[in-house]
Amino acid sequence: MRVVNGAMSQLTVVHALVLRETRTRFGAHRLGYLWALLEPVLMILTFYALFALAGRPSSSGMGLIPFLATGIVTYQLFQQTADRVASSVSANKALLFYPHVHPLDLVFARSALEVATFVTVFLVIVGAHGLVVQELTVDSALTTVVGALLAGALGATLGLVFCSLGVISNSVDRVRGPLIRPLFWISGLFYSANDLPTQIREIMLWNPVLHCTELVRDGWFTSYTARYASPTYVMGWIVALALLGLVLERSVREKVQLT
Amino acid sequence: MIELCGVTKAYPTPSGQHVVLDRISATFPEGVSVGILGRNGAGKSTMLRILGGAEQPDSGKVVRSGRVSWPIGFAGGFNGSLTGEENCRFAARIYGADLDEVIEYSQDFAEIGEYFRMPVRTYSSGMRARLAFGLSMAIDFDTYLVDEVTAVGDSSFQAKCKRAFAERRERSSVIIVSHQLSTIRAYADRVALINRGRLHFFDNIDKAAKAYEAHAA
Repeated sequence: MRVVNGAMSQLTVVHALVLRETRTRFGAHRLGYLWALLEPVLMILTFYALFALAGRPSSSGMGLIPFLATGIVTYQLFQQTADRVASSVSANKALLFYPHVHPLDLVFARSALEVATFVTVFLVIVGAHGLVVQELTVDSALTTVVGALLAGALGATLGLVFCSLGVISNSVDRVRGPLIRPLFWISGLFYSANDLPTQIREIMLWNPVLHCTELVRDGWFTSYTARYASPTYVMGWIVALALLGLVLERSVREKVQLT
Repeated sequence: MIELCGVTKAYPTPSGQHVVLDRISATFPEGVSVGILGRNGAGKSTMLRILGGAEQPDSGKVVRSGRVSWPIGFAGGFNGSLTGEENCRFAARIYGADLDEVIEYSQDFAEIGEYFRMPVRTYSSGMRARLAFGLSMAIDFDTYLVDEVTAVGDSSFQAKCKRAFAERRERSSVIIVSHQLSTIRAYADRVALINRGRLHFFDNIDKAAKAYEAHAA
C-alpha cells in the first residue's frame, strides 16, 4: 500500500510539473507551440533546398521530406530532451522548496514533455506532407515508436548525467553543447546507414543516436530496411547512462543549494 | 508532530566544515506552537528546511506525522515567469487541494489586486511574501513552518496573518523562526533558542529572552 500511495503522490507531482513546464516552455501565448514546430520545419526546408540544389535524391526511394523529417525530428527529440533535462534542476530549484518535489520528478516531467512535443511535431509535419502529396503509408508504426522512444530515453538519461554533474560544477553546462552538437552530423540525418561505406559505417554505428534514426525510418518507410540498427545496443546505452545518472544524482543530491 | 533524533547538518566552507545543526534531538508536539529564536546565520532557516523535509540531515532522523507545510516566508517555490495564479494552482495540485478554493483564498488573502494575474517576477518582495502567505493559508496543514514573519508586509497585513493563525489554532500548530523576540512572543506557546548548533528549550519566554540577549551581547 505504501508503494502504491507513494507512486500515486509522485504521479500527482509529475503531472503538476508537466502542466507547469508546458506553460514555461511554450510561454503564455498559444503561438508558443508554433515555435516548437518552426525550428524543425525550418531545418527540414533548409536541407530540402540544399539537397535540391545539389541534385541529390534521398536514399532507398524514401521521399525527401519524410526522409529529412524522420532524421531531424528524431535527432531533435534526443538533443532537446538531453538539453532540457540537463537544466531541469538548475532551472527549477525554487520548486525543491516543496518537500515532496524530488529532483527526479523534474527530470521525468521534462522528459515526458519533450517526447510528447516531438511526437506531435513529427505527426504534424508528416501529416501535412501526406495531405499535400495525397499519400501516407506507414510500414510499421511500432518500430517507429520504439525508435522515437529510444531516442527520448537516450536524451533523458544523458541529460540526467549532465544534470547531476552540473550540480558539482558550472562548467559542465558549457561543455554540454560542444559535446552534443557534433552528433547532428553523424546521426544519419542526411544519409542512411545502408548507404555508407562499410568501414565508415562500422565506426558510425558506435553512435546510438544513429540507431534511433535508422529504427524510425525502418518503421516509417516500406522501401527502407535498417539492416544495421540494433534496439538492444541502444538499450545498453540507456541502461548504462541511467545507472550512472542515478548514482550521480544520489551522490550530489545533498549538494543542491536551495537558495 | 515532528521529532528530531540526533540531527546533524554541516555545510562545506572554504575553511572547512561549518556545523549548523549539531546532534539536535527535540520533539515538536501536536497543537503546541514553538518559536525558535536565533541570530542571523544561527541555522534557523536550515532548521526549518530540515523540519519540512526540503533538506535531509547529514545524520540523524526526522519523523513527521500530519501534513507539514513548506517553509513559509519569502518567495520560495515561486516561478518568476508564471503568474501568481499559476503558481498557486501548481501548489494546490501537488498538495492535492481544491484548485478553485485555493486560488480564491490566496487571492483574497494576498490583496495584491491585478498583480495576481501577472508574472511573479513583476512583484515586489512584499507582494511575493503576501502571496506566499496567502497560498500557505489556503492549504490546510497540521503544522505551519514560518520563516521570519516580521519581514512580511505592513502592520495591517501582519495583523491579518496573526488572525489567520489564531483561527487555525484548534487544528494546526506553528513552528516559527525569527531573530526578533516580539515575533516569537506573538505566535509561540513555547520558546527555543538556537545557538552554536544546539537547540535549547525554555519554560518561559523571559528566560529565553535573557539567554538570547546574553548571547547577542
